[in-house]
Amino acid sequence: MNKRILTATFLAVFSIALLLPAFATDAQAADKLGWVGPVYKELSDSLTMGFKEYYKKTYGKDVDITFVRPGGWPVCIDKVRAWGDKPDADIFLGAGAPAHEVLKKEGRIVTYKPKDWDMVPAEWNGMKVKDAAGYWTCFAPWIVTNLYNEKVLKALKLPPPKTWKELLNPIYRGNIVQTLPYASGTQHEVVEILLQGFGEKEGWAMNRLLAAQLARFSTGSTDTTQLTSRGEVPIGVAQPQMNAMVARKDGYPVRDLLPDKTILVPEAVALMKNAPNEAVGKIFLDWLFSMEGQKYVLEGGYFTARTDINFTQWEKEGVAMAKHAKAALGVDNFWDLKVGFIEYDLDLAAKRWDEVNRYYEFEIYRKWGELKSSLFLIEEVEGEVNAAKAAKMNVKKAEAKIKEARKIFEYDGNYAAARLAAAKARSLLVEK
Amino acid sequence: MSRGNNFIASLLWCVIALLVLYPLSILMMESFKISGTAEFGINNYLEFFQDTYYLKTFWNTLVLSTMVLLATTLFGIPLAYILARYRQRGKTIFTALILLPIVLPAYAGVFAFVIFFGKFGTMNLLLMNAGIIEKPINFIYGFHGLVFIEALHMLPFIVLSLSAGLTTIDPSFEEAAEVEGASGFWRFITVTLPLCTPSYLAGAVIVFLWPFTDWLTPLILGQVDFLPSVAYINIAYHFTDMHRKYMGIVAVIVSSVICITIFLLARWWVEKRKYTGLSKGTTSEGRVIEPGPLVKTGSYLYMFFIAALVLLIPIVLGLSAFSRRWVFEPLPTYWTLDNFRVILLESPGLIKNSFLFSSIALIFGIAFGLPAAYIIVRTRVPGKDALDFIITLMLAFPGIAIGVSYLLAFWKGIPLATHWIIMPLALFSRRLPYFLRIAHSSYLQLDISLEEASEVSGVGKFGTFIYITLPLLIKGVLVGVVMFFIMAFQEISTAIFLYRGGWETLPIGIYLNWHRGMEFGICAAMAFLMIVITFILLLIIAKIGGGILKAAWGPGEKK
Repeated sequence: MNKRILTATFLAVFSIALLLPAFATDAQAADKLGWVGPVYKELSDSLTMGFKEYYKKTYGKDVDITFVRPGGWPVCIDKVRAWGDKPDADIFLGAGAPAHEVLKKEGRIVTYKPKDWDMVPAEWNGMKVKDAAGYWTCFAPWIVTNLYNEKVLKALKLPPPKTWKELLNPIYRGNIVQTLPYASGTQHEVVEILLQGFGEKEGWAMNRLLAAQLARFSTGSTDTTQLTSRGEVPIGVAQPQMNAMVARKDGYPVRDLLPDKTILVPEAVALMKNAPNEAVGKIFLDWLFSMEGQKYVLEGGYFTARTDINFTQWEKEGVAMAKHAKAALGVDNFWDLKVGFIEYDLDLAAKRWDEVNRYYEFEIYRKWGELKSSLFLIEEVEGEVNAAKAAKMNVKKAEAKIKEARKIFEYDGNYAAARLAAAKARSLLVEK
Repeated sequence: MSRGNNFIASLLWCVIALLVLYPLSILMMESFKISGTAEFGINNYLEFFQDTYYLKTFWNTLVLSTMVLLATTLFGIPLAYILARYRQRGKTIFTALILLPIVLPAYAGVFAFVIFFGKFGTMNLLLMNAGIIEKPINFIYGFHGLVFIEALHMLPFIVLSLSAGLTTIDPSFEEAAEVEGASGFWRFITVTLPLCTPSYLAGAVIVFLWPFTDWLTPLILGQVDFLPSVAYINIAYHFTDMHRKYMGIVAVIVSSVICITIFLLARWWVEKRKYTGLSKGTTSEGRVIEPGPLVKTGSYLYMFFIAALVLLIPIVLGLSAFSRRWVFEPLPTYWTLDNFRVILLESPGLIKNSFLFSSIALIFGIAFGLPAAYIIVRTRVPGKDALDFIITLMLAFPGIAIGVSYLLAFWKGIPLATHWIIMPLALFSRRLPYFLRIAHSSYLQLDISLEEASEVSGVGKFGTFIYITLPLLIKGVLVGVVMFFIMAFQEISTAIFLYRGGWETLPIGIYLNWHRGMEFGICAAMAFLMIVITFILLLIIAKIGGGILKAAWGPGEKK
């Protein structure tokens, strides 16, 4: 009985002790600012530090910054939707144009042109960098790239694939990872890049062939980064350009692959409608596009958006990341880059967003097993046809049939019919 | 009799209505919405049951549940027996170790096993360096890894419930069997195990339902095709595709219905076989056996094996917590305190939140759970079965569903979600069944005649509860309290939808750091910190109220 009383007393004291600090929390008089968005921790840390310092210096007051990052940008948008008319943040920080177009269309952001708004280009190689009315503005541009682990690729004696077509080479089979287009904005962009860069028909064929190369689907683009960095799968598809730079800084043996066809993602910022701390939010936006704010963007592992920035000069001024940025980009300003951009139709991409995701889910992801077995059968029969050809057999009919099978597979995505055609081609080989 | 009981019951019903019925009915409404229209209908459900993909995920989940239950039972029975019956040295520490996985969020364990058993993880690197294998072996990515990790995570539940059963069996039953000539294994099979079934089922149901609610473990292992994972992806990533979201909610509701059905079957079975011993009130210890040397060695080896697997989690997480760049090396080569420095800037709040929310939830839990167990088992208040049924719903409903439903329900009309109280409230309603289950089965083993005797002697209802029922129940209640706190402490599925800046708990911190990518060291350090905190907590409780571990595990060493 004694022990029981002891236990009860302990539990009571223990729970009271736990509760005490809750009631003791003091209310601070600091100003407040809330961010929501999918940017990486390095950036939010860097911006928090920089802006707090600036705020104290300029206004003589502290500013409390809360940052909500529930996941990739589709998840962030969901969070904002759930908040409804009472947003719990002032700034939507990060994500490319499609996300901000959705926010704009749903009336969740308002226009605001920060002081140095003009220093950000309106367009670059045909890609929109900011909204003309000022709903959203790019503060940290990057390019959609792929990632590879040089240590593991070397161990596997594989050269790094340079183009989208090279990724489809069977030597890379089982050594590539990507996520689902509906789980990551970047991955969705890759599917869309293939569609717009190679034409819809060819694009879906490439997406199918790429799926057959995968070791597995990851659960998000940061999961892909993890898997590639840790060497679980040596090639990661659909990665923000700065991931390689930052992972390298952390000691992982990864490198960036700029594919032949890609797009710009204008990582942008916007002021929320009904922002609870609108005034502080505007001060933040002004600061973010100032030279000082942009330095904190770079220190946070993102590239800068102003056209008048010179990395060499910044390096002299002591901005530590300027060196890495210059080395990674090979130019003094992000906008000096020469890249093979595709003509990207943003409106089309935004309009068919769900449709593309659904097609990918139903016709590629859900049929992944069938897709692979069909392709492997086609490849087998193709090998047999070639062998028969080498043996000087008459393979005309079989060759035509197996070509048809591949077409059915790649363009129609009818895997069962493709297998049937392949089987017919095989039987044509032995038919007299 | 009934006026007081009715009052208690109606109070409980008010809480249930607000925290369960209202949000879940809103969730149900969502599942009937047809995207693109303002109409309602069963189209989503029809689609679900006609879609081979969803049927496949459904089947996968069922197979996984069965395998996990099978594995935990096979490994759990000997473990529980050893811990409950054998008098051995170091039992407390083994007990604590084997209990460890339930105090960890499941995914913390996954991270550790990914580092250790991954393709370029410690195990593979060691084997490759030793020249035993040339290409890395896939230890954990796949169904087998999922069963292994989930079974290890759920093993404590089986062990806990079985040993609770083993220690509360009246020794005279087994003695009687021995006198009748049944001995050893035969007695264990025919007398001991059947007597444990009510307790076992309490644990088994939790284990079996786990794969129906755990979305994260499959996702980390790259296995999306399970009901909760599909539901999570559909709900969390639906973007502008409302149909995807509704299908996700349908998946959640379908899995919940399955869970509830299974649960009800188990409960019906337990109720049918109530085992009670009249001498229950007089013995505080179950039977204790002094094992022979052979059995003793065997049981030690067995405990070591399980404990070693469990220990891998804190060890691996600890190692990576102290090294920022552990990759392609069997052991870290670069040591730093950097991760902990970062956490000290970030985590004091997280740690405080975790303790605060869990404690408040616990207080809610006790205030609600004890009267609820009493009403359900001991009274004939109309609608008590419905009360039990509803509380059970919360066990079956995946955390994501509760999170989403709370967000839908408590934003506009009743704006609870704008205040941090929503966090402990959500933890409370999500974890309540854990407490209630144990209080419930303890009540079942308590013969009503003891209470009746007290009442006949003139002590009032409340007095009886305080002087007779509570002391007899204390074992079950304390086990429930510990379990509840631990489960609330590690909760993430609901919290991830409800937290706002400043309300992050430790598990959310772990998840966010993992999800941000390239922050594994910090994530590991947080998980490690969590293990340390919980372990200290367990030790303090064990030291001060030795009764808890004793109650849960049977007698340990004498102090």
